[in-house]
Amino acid sequence: MASETFYEVMRRQGITRRSFMKFCSLTAASLGLAPAFASKIANAMETKPRTPVIWLHGLECTCCSESFIRSAHPLAKDVVLSMLSLDYDDTLMAAAGHQAEAALEEIKKKYKGNYILAVEGNPPLNEDGMYCIQGGRPFVEVLKETAADAKAIISWGACASWGCVQAAKPNPTRATPVHKVITDKPIIKVPGCPPIAEVMTGVITYMLTFDRLPELDRQGRPKMFYGQRIHDKCYRRPHFDAGQFVESWDDDGARKGFCLYKMGCKGPTTYNACSTMRWNGGVSFPIQSGHGCIGCSEEGFWDKGGFYNRVTNINQFGIEANADKVGGTLAGVAGAAVVAHAAVSALSRARSGKTEQGEK
Amino acid sequence: MSVDIASNADLETAAGNTVYVYEAPVRLWHWINALSIVVLAVTGYLIASPLPSVGGEASDNFLMGYIRFTHFTAAYVFAIGFLVRLYWAVVGNHHARQLFLLPLNDAKWWAGIWHELRWYFFFEKLTQKYVGHNPLAHLCMYLAITVGGLFMIVTGFALYGEGAQEGHWSHALFTSWVIPLFGQSQSVHSWHHLAAWGIVIFIMIHIYAALRWEFMSRQTVISSMISGTRTFRE
Amino acid sequence: MAAYETQGFKMDNSGKRVVVDPVCRIEGHMRVEVNLNDKNVITNAVSTGTMWRGLEVILKGRDPRDAWAFTERICGVCTGTHALTSVRAVESALNIQIPENANTIRNIMQLNLYVHDHLVHFYHLHALDWVDVVSALSADPKKTSELAQSISDWPLSSPGYFRDVQNRLKKFVESGQLGPFMNGYWGNPAYKLPPEANLMAVTHYLEALDFQKEIVKIHTIFGGKNPHPNWLVGGVPCAININDTGAGGAINMERLNQVKSIIDRSREFIEKVYLPDLLAIATFYKGWGFGGGLSGKNMLSYGDIPQRANDYTAANLLFPRGAIINGDLSKIHEVDLNDPEQIQEFVTHSWYKYPDETKGLHPFDGITEPNFELGPKTKGTKTRIEELDESAKYSWIKAPRWRGNAMEVGPLSRMVLGYLQPKQFPFIKETIDGVLHKLDLPVTALFSTLGRTAARGIETLYCAKLQTEQFDKLIANLKAGDSATANVEKWDPASWPKEARGAGFTEAPRGALGHWIKIKDTKIDNYQCVVPTTWNGGPRDPKGQIGAFEASLMDTPLAVPDQPLEILRTLHSFDPCLACSTH
Ligand code: HEM
Ligand code: HEM
Ligand code: NFV
Ligand code: SF4
Ligand code: SF4
Ligand code: F3S
Ligand SMILES: [Mg+2]
Repeated sequence: MASETFYEVMRRQGITRRSFMKFCSLTAASLGLAPAFASKIANAMETKPRTPVIWLHGLECTCCSESFIRSAHPLAKDVVLSMLSLDYDDTLMAAAGHQAEAALEEIKKKYKGNYILAVEGNPPLNEDGMYCIQGGRPFVEVLKETAADAKAIISWGACASWGCVQAAKPNPTRATPVHKVITDKPIIKVPGCPPIAEVMTGVITYMLTFDRLPELDRQGRPKMFYGQRIHDKCYRRPHFDAGQFVESWDDDGARKGFCLYKMGCKGPTTYNACSTMRWNGGVSFPIQSGHGCIGCSEEGFWDKGGFYNRVTNINQFGIEANADKVGGTLAGVAGAAVVAHAAVSALSRARSGKTEQGEK
Repeated sequence: MSVDIASNADLETAAGNTVYVYEAPVRLWHWINALSIVVLAVTGYLIASPLPSVGGEASDNFLMGYIRFTHFTAAYVFAIGFLVRLYWAVVGNHHARQLFLLPLNDAKWWAGIWHELRWYFFFEKLTQKYVGHNPLAHLCMYLAITVGGLFMIVTGFALYGEGAQEGHWSHALFTSWVIPLFGQSQSVHSWHHLAAWGIVIFIMIHIYAALRWEFMSRQTVISSMISGTRTFRE
Repeated sequence: MAAYETQGFKMDNSGKRVVVDPVCRIEGHMRVEVNLNDKNVITNAVSTGTMWRGLEVILKGRDPRDAWAFTERICGVCTGTHALTSVRAVESALNIQIPENANTIRNIMQLNLYVHDHLVHFYHLHALDWVDVVSALSADPKKTSELAQSISDWPLSSPGYFRDVQNRLKKFVESGQLGPFMNGYWGNPAYKLPPEANLMAVTHYLEALDFQKEIVKIHTIFGGKNPHPNWLVGGVPCAININDTGAGGAINMERLNQVKSIIDRSREFIEKVYLPDLLAIATFYKGWGFGGGLSGKNMLSYGDIPQRANDYTAANLLFPRGAIINGDLSKIHEVDLNDPEQIQEFVTHSWYKYPDETKGLHPFDGITEPNFELGPKTKGTKTRIEELDESAKYSWIKAPRWRGNAMEVGPLSRMVLGYLQPKQFPFIKETIDGVLHKLDLPVTALFSTLGRTAARGIETLYCAKLQTEQFDKLIANLKAGDSATANVEKWDPASWPKEARGAGFTEAPRGALGHWIKIKDTKIDNYQCVVPTTWNGGPRDPKGQIGAFEASLMDTPLAVPDQPLEILRTLHSFDPCLACSTH
């Protein structure tokens, strides 16, 4: 057995056999298995080949891949060389054309039911799918075929999870998130535009380590990274509660790091780990660098109205209308109508009062 | 369930008659409810469009916090009031049920709406007489308070549960399904906000209509919501 | 299509057709088809962008202040460059003057992108065209160490270090799970490096992978994250506070120190790893002079990195602006993005519709209306394309032309335009001369696949140097007491004219990038992007002129006809970005 196994990877990373065994019994316990299973798990991990991963690209901008390679722990290098087997990824692989397609076919066959399919981007459905072509065929076909024999699917980023920018109105290509095309497989959504690197590697190593899917919320996102809003853990939150806001760019409040709520920050409505894990090895995150969160991990965040508006649009009233515009206008109309009506009532009452006295 | 509208009330509505309509809990609820909604609307507006920034250390201030706290307190009052009122609809007199039910297949009720509309547009000189709510008011109250209020409670507690986090009842009861239903939290905010305006508009018209009825109809109205009794004039 | 001649190339599609789809190790989706004569030399090349998302359509009716975020998502590889171009377009339309610091910070971010993007391209997208990973297994680590130490004083160069990497690689290969190296063209005779050089390059492939994540932290500091940092119309979103209470929430001394440290470390990596590797590899491929294409004939650059804020004239730019046509290197033409005669896009061979497709449109009047239809000579069906018909529409990329000419854009064009203006760009001239001298090559050797790859490396060094200078400038300005980062006079749309239009430009890592915006009633009325890979990867025009990708493949021999190694090598030298090209 020449292949580096999970056990060997862990050993190489400085984990002792004892803690490896402990890890296995914990795994057994958390899976609700009898202690005897611990040794079975250990055995499996000592001999199991690296899990093959097929990474497909639909309509997207490749920033999810870019983000992935920024992972600091684990290093992208270690993920790719030791933790899994990235057997197909057209952004990185050496082969192209027929040789690339052959690799895809081979992995699908050889590891039927045992590979993870990672999808970056999404399939367009208009024009028979020909807004995204791979090997002369619509990408959506490649996606469906590859999904058919996958063990699980990871939807990387806002594109695969929700549709993202190409699905923004009017979505000319009918770009469609993965879960609306593949309905018979477990799908883990890892949204964000892009997601944080360590969230991406965290999700995938969780799956390899514990050999199960992470716990997901109702919308299919791992709870561990998407269970809370930016706002819940934002370090500017004390300024929010105090009522101290940036009122305009580069004002005194901006220089003091006040809350960006009035500049349209979507932290209060955005589920992501930015305010806790931060970006690029913990260096910063959007709010720390002075710009509000634009809600990049939320469904349809492109179409909720301007990024700098706090009170956002309700699309049913067209691209322009937010609640204060619709509601305020209607309230104004109602107020004016009441006043006018009162005036007319008073007038007509005064007039008729003379003739039809006593009748009310 | 049949709801009393104009109907058989001819006897009761004869001039000089006084009928006990709004029991004490309904009246009490009405005014507490009115107050809580005013507080909710004002604080809600300030949540969406906060006051100018305050100076000093963040730790010395809690303005936004207090505004939100007030909103949530009023929200609890509003929601509990709603539940109590619902309970009273079951155990109270038949007028207490009116707010929660629309007699949609009662032709007379529809005719009443038509008549009141004509009255507002000065085509009718006189209103009809009603022991309970007039049908037009009934419809508006149902839409604004029964439907609108419920909507505010559901969306409001869904938003509240986001902050209260998983494990809190509001999260389990509302957040967990309302957010996915709307797609995301931001949309829930927008709709909660829009519906708030709907309720504000209802209040404007409601108060005007109450005053107008008080002076221009043949029955007591505002005083009824104070004393509980309705007296009819000719 | 019968044989014909264009731009000095003899096009002949009668020979055996070779299809490469997907073209891998690029951004996005691309297909290329070539014809080979009986000597396996390319006689016809067809470059096809195989994706379209419709950003220009999606932008209509939106708030111009949001456009940067949409256009930034055109590409996550050249992340930020579209955003910068976009805020410049809006500022040009609304005549917004940005503060000096904002300009400097934008420059640092843009240069930072170059350093990252070029490095990742060289090692992770391009290297495998020159480096045989499997051959590295048979290298002698001691000799590798000697080689490495002879070209650089980079400390990670001991025999033990290279042995460790080799062992890891061995173990990896022996596992039978080759991952991204599966089905590569290992052993192809077009690979020329000795095993020791291969091992050194593979080692640096891994080192660069570790290091690149450090480079982007400059984006994270100023823009909050990378990929896709945040930008702002009127300046930059990050406020500066170096003295007062609350500085922790802004750009402060610690942040500036971190920026400085990254700039220094990046420069060291480029000087001690990237450039020495580049030269070492180039030494072995000197003889392979293919892939020149349009370079040396038609080259275009818009210029970038304004020294002073708000002055976008050529004299104020640290990257050269200008156009060369018809191979006349003695005449640098002025480039004006607003001139309707200069930049035009054609769609005769692109999957779009114009009212009159014999004519090009200037981007201010640009139209983006998709129209997917295949030519009558296509082999296969609509959803099973076997061979494209290049006499009809065949790509999602439009065909931009400068005064009617197909142009090559990118590092090579920039470096050549800089080389031709040594007074303004002495560093470029000196560095190129130095490299050519070391390799013992004439200037004309630049006009090749290898030249393009070398130009990118030279440019990276230039960027690292400029980054240091821009950082010093930022500090000097702060010392002088100016810490402004945004101009909000025209933030409120109520202050805008009823109608306005403007063009913004940058030099993106892959070449000249322009965005054209028309604003009407505070909303986007039309938005058009003409992108580097649109220039390079675009299809034919009504005159049958081919684009830079197609031209560069012409007349190249393939060592093994069913292994497209040379095709990949030349295409990769442009660093194709298909998401960018079609947007
Ligand atoms: C008539 C009843 C109510 C009115 C008029 C009202 C009004 C508002 C308004 C205008 C907002 C601002 C929305 C935005 O644009 O973000 C708001 C926010 C909110 N409301 Fe209400 N609301 C009502 C009832 C409730 C109830 C019953 C709850 C339940 C707890 C509630 C909880 C909230 C919460 C949690 C927020 C968000 C606070 C934040 O984001 O900081 N509301 N409300
Ligand atoms: C936020 C403000 C208010 C709200 C939300 C509100 C809501 C309601 C509701 C839901 C009812 C139906 C009661 C039931 O069937 O249980 C009602 C009835 C009534 N309200 Fe209000 N109310 C408000 C303010 C006022 C004010 C200020 C007045 C007096 C000027 C008023 C006068 C009345 C009267 C007279 C009735 C009884 C109508 C009838 O006789 O049919 N309300 N209100
Ligand atoms: N072509 C292109 Fe870009 C670049 N550089 C942008 O303008 O890569 Ni994605
Ligand atoms: S989710 Fe965003 S970052 Fe990722 S590919 Fe899509 S557009 Fe790019
Ligand atoms: S900056 Fe945004 S996320 Fe942070 S406290 Fe303010 S509103 Fe919330
Ligand atoms: S914009 Fe995206 S990166 Fe985080 S802070 Fe907001 S979710
Ligand atoms: Mg375009």
